Amino acid sequence: MESKITIFSVVDVIESLSGGTLLNGNLCMMDNSPFESLNQGTPNLVTLCYPGQLIHWTILALDLQTPVAIRKITFLNQDGSSCEPIPADPTQLESDKLHLNVWSGIVPYYLVPGVEYRYRFELQMYEGKNCLMYVDTPALKRV
Amino acid sequence: MSQQLGIIVMVDVEAALKANTLKGNTYLFDNMKLQGSEGLGTDKLISAIHGSSYIDGSQANEQVLNWLPYGVGSLPPTLPKSFLADKSKNSDLKALEDIKALADKITSTDTDEFTNVDDVIEELKRISKSTGIKTQVQDKYSDTTRDLGTSGQKIMDVTGELISASKDKIPEINSLNPLITDISGEAVDKKIIYPAAYGSPDMVTDGWYWAASVDTSTPGTYAYTMDIQLYKLIWSDGVWTWIPVHMKCEAYIKISNDQKKNGFTNAGVGYLPIPIA
Repeated sequence: MESKITIFSVVDVIESLSGGTLLNGNLCMMDNSPFESLNQGTPNLVTLCYPGQLIHWTILALDLQTPVAIRKITFLNQDGSSCEPIPADPTQLESDKLHLNVWSGIVPYYLVPGVEYRYRFELQMYEGKNCLMYVDTPALKRV
Repeated sequence: MSQQLGIIVMVDVEAALKANTLKGNTYLFDNMKLQGSEGLGTDKLISAIHGSSYIDGSQANEQVLNWLPYGVGSLPPTLPKSFLADKSKNSDLKALEDIKALADKITSTDTDEFTNVDDVIEELKRISKSTGIKTQVQDKYSDTTRDLGTSGQKIMDVTGELISASKDKIPEINSLNPLITDISGEAVDKKIIYPAAYGSPDMVTDGWYWAASVDTSTPGTYAYTMDIQLYKLIWSDGVWTWIPVHMKCEAYIKISNDQKKNGFTNAGVGYLPIPIA
């Protein structure tokens, strides 16, 4: 069985910043899971996986001249809450070290089959008050 | 794959030709200001390039540089590259129509407007003036000249209108876009960047652009030299001719190289931090 799954995201940075949203097709998430993952090409991607598999997130800007990086990936509680706060003042965020992060990790064994473990996918585009955008909708699900 | 890095080389063509140097007449910009580029908007640009490597020292992503030269007084780069050629061709077609209309008027008119030879000459003069001035371009390596474009482009002013002028007087013209003809120097000699001209279907950059991939494994500041070709419009042997003029412009890249780390653990790879359901 494939031991690694890549979750590949493409974002239209110009459209996202213009419209102030990652929705409306501005963010597409896809994976190469050997199982039938759900909602491919949308921010509601549910990646079907198995404990012990390595998940690796990557992102690409649709217009390669525009900057975008994954700022953070935070797994949420089942009620959608999180102990990790969203930065109150995005103008304080720096972007010049974000490219050094590798977003990958191993699926833990305690995941309950059939339960969706949603995560907050935070993106940062350059710097400034509108630089931070996120979705709470993608998830991992143990088969 | 990371963000593409763009370097804009904006040349005040008229001033550079007058002073015979690009120094003080070139404005360089890039999109790496946040990464620490210095000297944006001057002729001394230091582009910051952030390399990254894995813990074993291997290069983690490739940085790609793209150079785009523009002229301050040239047509806006957002116009289709055929704008000048189309306008030149259309002016010829319009002149043919005007001559046909004049012929019709002479043969069919009831008034005596075009029965007088002087009137006809006046009208012909007006038509010939509206066709603008055709130009030629001189070869880079020899004195031979040829039509510019497929049918000989004409001189256009900065507002996009064709102009007519005598050999003594050329008003504010739209200069031809500068071209990069080579990139060389320290950064190339030391095998830090690997530049080449690439063909592209892009309507903006005339189908060719210079790009380079960067070996970020050796941090430091390196100089490189761009060979830039400008065109000077002169009256020669009875035709307006664009003569190529070669100049050099130096710029720098400043490469840093940091190690990648895992975003979840800030160290090596581990289990995903998923709250227990």
